[in-house]
Formats: sequence, structure tokens, C-alpha cells
Amino acid sequence: MFRTSWACRTCLYRLPRQVVWRQLRFQSTTSAGNISPALIARARSMTSEHSQLSKQLADAFESKTAKKIGELTPVVSALKDWDKANESLRELKTLIDDPSTDKELRDLATEDIEQSKGQLSRASQILASSLIPKHPFADLPCFLEVRPGIGGGEAAIFAGDLVKMFQAYCSKNGLNVAILKLETADGTSNLSLSGAGLTEAILEIDSPGAYGIFSCEAGVHRVQRVPATETKGRTHTSAASVIVLPSFPANGSEELDFNDPNSDFFVDPKDVRVDVMRASGAGGQHVNKTESAVRLTHIPTNTVAASQEQRSQARNKEQAWTMLRARIAQARREAREEEMVRLRRSVVGVAKTGRQDKIRTYNWNQQRVTDHRSGLSVHDLDDVIEGGDTLEKVMASVRAWMVDQEILGLVAEVESQK
Amino acid sequence: MPRISPSALRQARAISPLLPQLLRPCRELQSAQNELRWLREHAVKVASTKQWPQWHSYLQVLCRKRGKGVPLQYLLGSEYFGDLEIICKPGVLIPRPETAASVTFLVERLTEKGHQLPGELRVLDLCTGTGCIPLLFRHEFSRRSSTRLRLMGVDISRAAVELALQNQGRLETPPRVYTAFSFHQADVLSPNLSNPSASCPPLFEVLNDQGHMQWDILISNPPYISPQSFFRDTARSVRNFEPHLALVPPSSPIVPDEEKGDPFYPRLLEIAEKLNVKVVLFEVADLQQADRVAEMAQRGGIWKGIEIWRDEPSAPSHQNETGHVQFPTLGRGNGRSVFCWRDAAKSWLGAAARAA
Ligand SMILES: C[S@@+](CC[C@H](N)C(=O)[O-])C[C@H]1O[C@@H](n2cnc3c(N)ncnc32)[C@H](O)[C@@H]1O
Repeated sequence: MFRTSWACRTCLYRLPRQVVWRQLRFQSTTSAGNISPALIARARSMTSEHSQLSKQLADAFESKTAKKIGELTPVVSALKDWDKANESLRELKTLIDDPSTDKELRDLATEDIEQSKGQLSRASQILASSLIPKHPFADLPCFLEVRPGIGGGEAAIFAGDLVKMFQAYCSKNGLNVAILKLETADGTSNLSLSGAGLTEAILEIDSPGAYGIFSCEAGVHRVQRVPATETKGRTHTSAASVIVLPSFPANGSEELDFNDPNSDFFVDPKDVRVDVMRASGAGGQHVNKTESAVRLTHIPTNTVAASQEQRSQARNKEQAWTMLRARIAQARREAREEEMVRLRRSVVGVAKTGRQDKIRTYNWNQQRVTDHRSGLSVHDLDDVIEGGDTLEKVMASVRAWMVDQEILGLVAEVESQK
Repeated sequence: MPRISPSALRQARAISPLLPQLLRPCRELQSAQNELRWLREHAVKVASTKQWPQWHSYLQVLCRKRGKGVPLQYLLGSEYFGDLEIICKPGVLIPRPETAASVTFLVERLTEKGHQLPGELRVLDLCTGTGCIPLLFRHEFSRRSSTRLRLMGVDISRAAVELALQNQGRLETPPRVYTAFSFHQADVLSPNLSNPSASCPPLFEVLNDQGHMQWDILISNPPYISPQSFFRDTARSVRNFEPHLALVPPSSPIVPDEEKGDPFYPRLLEIAEKLNVKVVLFEVADLQQADRVAEMAQRGGIWKGIEIWRDEPSAPSHQNETGHVQFPTLGRGNGRSVFCWRDAAKSWLGAAARAA
């Protein structure tokens, strides 16, 4: 039910622009001149909508219109840059083709043409990505759920390594991270005290935009190494899975209105069954067990969220509500994305990575990390696992790949509408 | 009590050598693991304040005690009661979640939209123990209503009154929405029944000294377990480690066994009448006792509405749990409390008036 969000349109907004551009230039699958005419047409119609709305706004201010204009502006300026780049390329070509152009000028033009082509390619890329609608969870904080997959004890240890990797990444990048739940195989709630590895962890990254940053981490991470417990020196392959969920502010916000029945974030309390664990039998003064666990079931979708971390039942209930909301909203969002993907696939084969697919391999023997989506391999495994710049490099390559996938999908969608 | 299976023990030992001894009081692996986690956090915290040299040796001590049945709340020094963390000490009963559910439900009923409350609401809690009931009442009430509160808690035990004062001090919250909040040592039963362990003033003497002979709401979670049920139905860690005085009321040998848990209720109803109380909420052991108490109240003739509340009074009632003929019975779970109100409180309780 909880599939990975397969595309992150947000990274463009979230990350330093240069990083994204560089990645796009080198890894793009959509290249320069051949930006789909359908996309150009869409950009033109959005631009004319923009100027129409601007006129409206001049007459009477309305915050909804202003917001819409704000959303269209990047498209408008990207189209302007694209037109300019196109225009100068055309001028150069005309110059070269014109028999009356003297040799010296023609040579100069021929030299410039390469640079202009590069400019057009960049402009095309930016234009295409500006057309991608912003992911509704992009600006939200998020939860990361990490669990061991196949591979027994070694998978548990690797799952623990991933948790430490994410924690280190957060502290290096100034993101607030809190452990909501951490269970180790030996019952310790402290990874550094436990040698046994992890059975389950939930981290909350309470910084705006964390969802956009981490959605590229959702899926199966695979490890190849000789476990500490392996006496014969054999390499094992194990795995751990990561789920990324959006975290909503407790009372909604302007954009996330929990009370709006049409929003993804709306969960009707009437649809939720609350089960508190009670000591069986007489209860009251007869028993003094600490039974603080709370389980919430969203009856229409049979989605369950439970918490027994805290001794306080009230706190467990709050925590379970937060998780329930996150799961339901993510499931609804994914159901819609699923629908889109089906639509796009019917036009062109668009790659999709579900959470059951392995997304990345950490190979200790070769000190190598390979991401299977972007195809990027890096060799500084230690820096990756310590949450350093090399991890950011890998993550950025995936975000760029996701944007490319989005663009492909968008082209397919727009063309199918013709 | 069912024995713990060898396989469960083996499983527990595989996780941690400290876990098998926690299985005895906890019964289930999951709750034993939760307790181990909380005990470990506590041990680490205590060791970090240098009250104990090493957290793991302290954890071993804690686990050994827990294995012998010492309540977790005494080891950790507190229990959660609704949103509040209440300090707990041996010698004073640990607050129970069912009590918190009833108190919260009472506040919800009083603060529903459109209800007319008096300018000041006077709430008396008899047999207050840790003071958890008036503390939670204030907490829940003051976030829903700006009506002023006067609160008083009374207990026969010196240790309880001291602990209640300590809890009050810790949970003091600045914008004071109450005119007064105090705890006093007094005997609720005397002079009706002499209580051998009591050498403290009777309730009315204390109330008179304080000059407060008029109250609006009377709440009590008195000792309600009969001697027979004490040996048959209580958990070992309750029986061996919580104060007998808080659980089993003094009773005369001539009453039938199943009524030996009841002595406080006629007295509480009498006090309610004398103090001109408009609403009472008494916790009880089960549906049978609830019935008996509701009938006592009915015989008194002054109560306009009498209801029985279950463990989770706000939950929708299960089909098979209704079928109680005489008194409206609300919620889900065991019969847990008896709620009565007088005509004068009708405007405070829109819903109660509807239910009657
Ligand atoms: C079941 S405990 C309830 C404590 C607290 N109200 C709670 O809900 O956790 C009953 C309390 O009644 C007190 N008690 C017993 N006999 C009493 C009496 N005769 N007068 C006043 N208090 C008494 C005990 O000391 C004990 O604290």
C-alpha cells in the first residue's frame, strides 16, 4: 500500500540551482533541440494565461490570482529564455547560410554556434522542468521508516547503518531529526549501545522540505559485505527498506486543511476506530499494569497506525494520529500517481521504481555505492555511509533522474492529449 | 494464573538476559520489552545525575525488583494520568487509566456547548490519594472553560496528602483559573465507622474549619474491593505492593461477602446531601457494584438523573453490552462509575438532562 513516491519534482525548488543544472546537463535524457513541440505549446498557453491574470490583478487584487501568477512565473521566464536562445541560434544559422557573409564572420559564427546549442539545451531543460507541477508534499517535513529486509541479523545491522547515515546527513545539512521509534533486536533503544542491529526505526525530519529531499531514498537498499559475524569470510547480500511519508502539521495549515473533506489530508475521526490496550479482567483498582498502547484503524481503507513507545497513552495517541494521517495521505496521493503512470505508460514506457525494487547497492568490498536509477556509481563508500557530500551527490543524481522521468511522463501525457 | 511457556522464556532470553524476569509481572513479551526500554531509559537518566555509578548495574537492580512484582510506576517514580505525569511513591495508590477516562468524560459533559455553569464551580475529591483527580479535573476543565474553580482533595493518609501537595506544586500552571486548591488530611468515614488505623480528624471538622460546607461536585474513588475479591481478583503486584488501606474498606462481618466492598458509598451519598452537592461521580469495581450504588442513590430520592459509566464512557456502546434495564449505561468495557445529578445541575449538563 505504501509505495514509494516515484518522482520528486521539488528538488528544483529545494536545492541550490547549480547542483541541479549540472546534473541535468550531464544526465538528462531529454536533450536540447528536441524538446517536444507539445510542451512548447503548453508553455505558450500558460504564458498567455499569465499575462491575462496579471491584467486582472492590476484591476483588483485577489490573493488567489496572485498565487496562481506566482506559480506560472517560472514557466514564463523559462520560455522567454528558451525563445531568446532559439532566436540567437537561428540568427547564427542564417548568418552561416547567407552566401554574402564573409569568411571571417562565418568562422566566428561557427565557433559560437556550439555555445548557443549548449545554451538552448539548458534552456529547454529548465523549461521542461518548470512545467512539472509541484509535488503537494514537497515542502513538508517527513518521516523515514527503516526496516531490515532479507538477510537476517546482517540486514538488521545494515538497517541500523542506514539510520545512522540519515542522522548524520541531517546534522551535516542542518535538518532537525528526532527518533520517534527505535527498536533493536536486543530490545535496546540506543543503536550505539546495541550490537544486534535494528528491527524498526521511525525518524521524523522536522524541517520544511524534508519530504522533497528524502523522497529519493524510498525503496530497497542493498548491501554486499562480509558480516562481522561471518567466520569464513564470505560476502553476504542483504537488504533494508526505507519508506518516506509526509508529516503534516498537527492542525493543518492554510494549504493543508484537515477539515476540508476533499483534501488528501482529511481524515474523518468518525471513520477511525480507537483501540486502547487495556489489561483484561477486572481493571480499576485490581490491576496496575502499564498498558499505554494505542491503535487507530481507518475503517474505510483498513489503514492501521499504532504506538506503544510512550508510557503516556495521550502521547501514544497523538503519535498514532500523525502516522495515520501520513499513511492515508500518502496512499491517496500514490493512488493518483499510479493512475497517471498507467496513462503515461500506455503512451511511452516510463520507468518507475516501486518500493519493492532495489534502488541502490552498497558494496563494501569494492568500497562502491551504485544507484540503480540514476546509474551513478561513487567510490567513497565511507563518506556516503557517514552522510557526507558523496551521499548528497548520489541523492542529487536521483533527484535529477526523477525530474527527467517526470518530463518524459509529461511529454507523453501532453502528446496523448493532442 | 497461566504459566509462562518455556518457548516464550527462550524467546525473551534470546533478546536480552534481563527480559525473562520481566515476563513474570508483564505476561506478554511485547509489554515486557516496553518495560525494559522504559527501565533502561530511567537507569541511564539516574546514572547520568550521578545518583548511581553505572546505569547497567542499576538496570539490573530495577529488573530484579520488577521481577518480584514491584509496580513499574514505583520504580520509575511516576504514572501518566490523562495528559499529566503524576509522581508515585510506595504507600500511595497508583492512579489508574479508567479513573482518568471518567474524570475527562465528566469535564466534557460539563463543558459542552451551551451549558450554563455557575460563576465558580466547587469540586471536592474524597479519598484523593496522589491528588490525581482534582489535578486532572483542573487541567481538562481550564482548557475548555473560563469558569473559576475551587478544588479540595481529602485523604486519611498522611503520605497521600504529602504526595498530593507535591504533585500540585509540580503541576502548578500560572494563569490561575481557580480561586483555591488545597489538600487536607481527614477521615471520610468517621464517625459512622471507626477506622482503627486512623488518628485524624473527621471530614466535617476539617470542612468546618476551612469554612467550606457547600460544594457543587463530589468525586470519589474510594477503596471498593471486598476482602474476598482482594485475594481472588487483584494482581500480585497490587496485592503485595500497593497500600491495603487504599483498596479494601473496613467492613462489618455481618454483611454478605459481595457487599463488603460497599461501605464508603452510603457515607459518600450522605456527605453529598449534607454539603448540598449537585453532581456526584463515584468509581466502582464492576457492574454489580454499580447497580447496588445506583440503587442506594435512587433510594435517597434526591437525584434527578442516575447513570452508570463503563471504562471508556465516551466510546459508542457495544450491542452486547447494553441491555441494562434500570439505569442508562454509557460506553464500553467494565462497569466503572456511578454518576448522579440533581435538578439544580440540569443547566450544567445539557446531555444528562436529555438522557434522563
Ligand atoms: C483507591 S485509592 C484512590 C486514590 C486516588 N483518588 C486515585 O484515584 O488514584 C483510595 C484512597 O482512599 C484513602 N482512604 C482510605 N480510607 C479513607 C478514609 N476513611 N477517609 C479518607 N480517605 C481514605 C486511601 O488512603 C487511598 O488514598
